[in-house]
Amino acid sequence: MSASSAARPSSAAPASAARLGVDPHRDLSDYDPEADLMVLNMGPQHPSTHGVFRLKLHLDGETIVRAVPYVGYLHRGVEKLLEELTFVQATPIVDKNDYVSPMTNEQAINMAFEALLGIEVPRRARYMRTLFAEMQRIASHLLWLSTFGIDMGGALGGGTTLFMHCFREREWILDLFELVTGARFHYNTHTIGGNRHDIPAGWAKQVHTTLDLIASRIDEYLELSTTNSIFVARTRGVGILPKELALELGITGPILRASGVDHDLRRDAPFHAYDEIEVKVQTEPDGDCLSRALVRVREMKESIRLSKLLVDGIPEGPICGARPIKNPTQFKAKEGQAYVALETPRGELGTYVIGGGKNKAASPYRLKIRPPSLHALSALPYLLPGHSISDTVVILGSLDPIMGEADR
Amino acid sequence: MAVDESDRNYEHPLYSMPGLSVAATSVDKLLTWGATNSLWVFAMATSCCGIELMATAASRVDADRMGTIIRGTPRQCDVMVVAGTITVKMAPRVLKLWEQMPEPKWCIAMGSCAISGDFYRDIYSVIPGIDTAIPVDVYIPGCPPNPEQLMAGLIRLQEKVRAVRGGEWAPKDERPETEAMQKTAPSIPRLLSAERSPDVTLAQLLGAGNLGLGGALNRAADAPPLAAPQETSDAITTQAPTETSEGAVESPSEDEHADA
Ligand code: SF4
Repeated sequence: MSASSAARPSSAAPASAARLGVDPHRDLSDYDPEADLMVLNMGPQHPSTHGVFRLKLHLDGETIVRAVPYVGYLHRGVEKLLEELTFVQATPIVDKNDYVSPMTNEQAINMAFEALLGIEVPRRARYMRTLFAEMQRIASHLLWLSTFGIDMGGALGGGTTLFMHCFREREWILDLFELVTGARFHYNTHTIGGNRHDIPAGWAKQVHTTLDLIASRIDEYLELSTTNSIFVARTRGVGILPKELALELGITGPILRASGVDHDLRRDAPFHAYDEIEVKVQTEPDGDCLSRALVRVREMKESIRLSKLLVDGIPEGPICGARPIKNPTQFKAKEGQAYVALETPRGELGTYVIGGGKNKAASPYRLKIRPPSLHALSALPYLLPGHSISDTVVILGSLDPIMGEADR
Repeated sequence: MAVDESDRNYEHPLYSMPGLSVAATSVDKLLTWGATNSLWVFAMATSCCGIELMATAASRVDADRMGTIIRGTPRQCDVMVVAGTITVKMAPRVLKLWEQMPEPKWCIAMGSCAISGDFYRDIYSVIPGIDTAIPVDVYIPGCPPNPEQLMAGLIRLQEKVRAVRGGEWAPKDERPETEAMQKTAPSIPRLLSAERSPDVTLAQLLGAGNLGLGGALNRAADAPPLAAPQETSDAITTQAPTETSEGAVESPSEDEHADA
């Protein structure tokens, strides 16, 4: 078998069949290990692996024959740690899981605990949480776009141009969060039954101004990328993830939507304020890197629209339904279990929690987090073979993995 | 792994050239100026703090204006900024990268994870502070520290570099630990600390080797390789090696244990 037969799919019509011949567990015995294949380790410390992640590439010349991902370099035992802490203490810990969108992490864990404890969240807090999640999505996708710009090796005019531009906008959103919570990230603002910090006066106006500005910039980036022939050449038809494979691997979020599956938990299983507003789900049929990029950029615009709706619609009322938290063992769970899934910028983040019962009432007996990034990474052995080394960083970048949540 | 401070006073080869001794002072001033204002950073960005490190390099704070650029390879860098949690699996790799950096080199521990392990310090897979493995010059507390704090840390490092090049003794920075943390020993003693059970250390090192670490810990070449812990009473046992192609893992020598 010669690797050149697995050439890059042609640019015009991405054929999902190009991938279907790939077997990630392929027996490489038809290669002479000494003469033919070179094993290249990428990572765990590599500027393009988005954290600490190792990829073992078997190369035939420039072409990847087989790719084996290794995870676990950032395993911090979060699930175990949360079993030792009480329900109240969990929020600041899960912030650090998906450190690019801490707000949705806090939301997920607190929703799971609220489901377990049977606590209602007041409407104002639900609106605020939804608003924060949408703004966090913008910030997260901006960070993705900036690092994708670096991964593309300066296809968008100079190595770090896009990085510099996107970080400028991201800082504005972090400023808005800082006004509410006092922290740039790792906010610790959600709590069981609501939120800790209320919105300061005049904040809504600032949100509008900032988001208008960001919206105009995002249009610029969309034009910049789709009219740039280098960007299009390096992403179109590269790393095609067919629909069936994506569903089989449990991939969710923008990656799944870029493969043509119209699935978004914000619309399909609305939580918090999403049942009161209409989310326009962005999809693309092709499943290549360009589709994933376009879906994310359009999602940013959609999030801006939603954020503006939400910030105008925040009702009056209390921001926390439960009693103010006096001591960390305040909430006691009966035996029981709860699973909550919600849509983060990276896909479906599931939290499964079992209540402790008598002896361990104030903390979870067992907690399991289902990270979308880990499932996204599981697509790499299918996506990479047949591509050249230079496409590796593009494909990896387009999956937007965060190792903090993949390894937990 | 031994923290030897004695050779950290850097002497430029120009000093030994005959005839240059008069000009040496001004040349040295120039070199010092160059060295302090071109601290290139190797970003050991493993987790959340790495995002703030990126923000420091990005448009608002712009570490570029102090001559601090983030480079992707250790061979071009003067400073290693350890930003993020270092796990047992990652620590030998950090050591390996640290060794690849040319002298003179400095290290900044950014964030409480790199300083002490943060709230993960009792977790089985996290090493309680990077200074258990490599010498740290500047500590920047915070979870995560703001970009401004990182800039302040870089300025502090510049002062240190200036002092060291000028022949002064730069005192070691204090590790910022709260009293509570000093009172409670971490449930896993620090890697290479004297109180740590050698069996556990060995088990972890071997475990790391089994995960494919290879020669990262083969630093003490003349130290005798430790035997596999078959007769340890400890509950921790090592798994069977999965990647036999990797080199054998040896432990650091005994006197290094005492140093750390
Ligand atoms: S100190 Fe905090 S922000 Fe930094 S890596 Fe550790 S948990 Fe993340």
